[in-house]
Amino acid sequence: MIELTENKLIIRRPDIHQHAVCEVDFQRTLRIPDDNQSYPLPPGLGRFPLEHVEDHADRLPSQWRKHGGVLLPMYQAEALWVNFNLPKHPDAIVDSYPFALKIATGKVNAVSGKLWSEIPESDPQDYVVLPSQQWLDGYCVQKGLIRQFVSMPLGSEFTAEEQITGEAVYGGIQIIAYPMKREWYEKLEQEAKQSRIDSDDFCVEFMAEAQCVGLGLAAGGLMRQEIYEDEYGIDAWDTTNPSRCFVHILNSEQWKSSTGKSMPTTPLSASDYTDAGLPWFEVDSGDTPNLEGSEILRELDSVATKEIKFGKKVLAENKPLKPSNVFLCTSNRVIDGAW
Amino acid sequence: MYIRTSREQLLSDDRSFSLRQVAQRAEIEPAYLSKIERGVFAPPSEEVIVKLAEILGEDKDVLLAMAGKLSSDLQHIIFKRPKLFAELLRQLQEVPDHAVLRVVREVKDGQW
Repeated sequence: MIELTENKLIIRRPDIHQHAVCEVDFQRTLRIPDDNQSYPLPPGLGRFPLEHVEDHADRLPSQWRKHGGVLLPMYQAEALWVNFNLPKHPDAIVDSYPFALKIATGKVNAVSGKLWSEIPESDPQDYVVLPSQQWLDGYCVQKGLIRQFVSMPLGSEFTAEEQITGEAVYGGIQIIAYPMKREWYEKLEQEAKQSRIDSDDFCVEFMAEAQCVGLGLAAGGLMRQEIYEDEYGIDAWDTTNPSRCFVHILNSEQWKSSTGKSMPTTPLSASDYTDAGLPWFEVDSGDTPNLEGSEILRELDSVATKEIKFGKKVLAENKPLKPSNVFLCTSNRVIDGAW
Repeated sequence: MYIRTSREQLLSDDRSFSLRQVAQRAEIEPAYLSKIERGVFAPPSEEVIVKLAEILGEDKDVLLAMAGKLSSDLQHIIFKRPKLFAELLRQLQEVPDHAVLRVVREVKDGQW
């Protein structure tokens, strides 16, 4: 089951194991220049607000009510990354209960570029594995490179869904989560217990049906990010009754008219952020094997490329940047101790 | 029988839990309480059961359930949204206790 708490989706699978809990939230971030240069990781500027679809059902198109899930408001001037967290159960010996997650936009898989399916595929791998994958900022286009998730109106021919399927039907983000099989986890616990023993030895207007077009996600600028190979293998994942969620993306007007709530503050531009000397991030993952990137997704036109093809001027936001304040981190986790 | 066992346990330490005194505090006749305890009479009203639960330090919902009754506040909650609560209770039927104690709202998944 999935619950929504503090703008986080909390996926719990007590039917498989009491420790099987996974949290997913959506972080607001800078829209990096779409200039074919690769950029380091931008910061997280807070969680996007989320609302239950059925709380605003009377103001939403019937198709959205049918999809269920949650609503997320997004400016076109900002970008989004998906943040993963596996909270440690107080009784657990290992740090987290591993999960495999498939992320799609407009029912196009963001890792493989293939159309939506309910089961995980290993060849090519179409899912990310937690805890090794701590976030996903965009479409996996090449080994070590992603194209940032940026929002575009569905029907404008920019979204990954439209470029790959030729249709503008779903938009939004789709998530499906598979916890590790109980017996696999218990083996991890056993190994952890053993290693502990060993170490001890050593020491306004409602949205009418016609306005049902929400936002979809398109490919933005290039960013340096690795999508890691599944270290456990496809057989590790429990695919019975996986937890799914449809995240509908709304523009500011749609958000206000359907929820009656105000939008978050307008986003910072990447150039303002960089000019202020604020940090960007680079992750050193060592020798962890990572995916080659999807040939299908590599063929996607980025938003700037599409604009040029449509005869539009390249936006000023795409002016190249040189982030000077780049932090190198080996892990994104701030370790909390006992205090 | 349960009420009698509970009262007699308390009586072993405290003489104020005699049949007469408990009946007096529950505002019923001692003979009536005796018959309730022996199961001679049908279970008393909700009001009497709640009073007995308070006097004996028992859970009123448990005593009511043993008498085949549901407290009026719970009835009110269910009658207000019968379909919703009927569905919820049926879904919780097989759920283990620790999971029932943490009832949360689920993000609804639909067809897509």
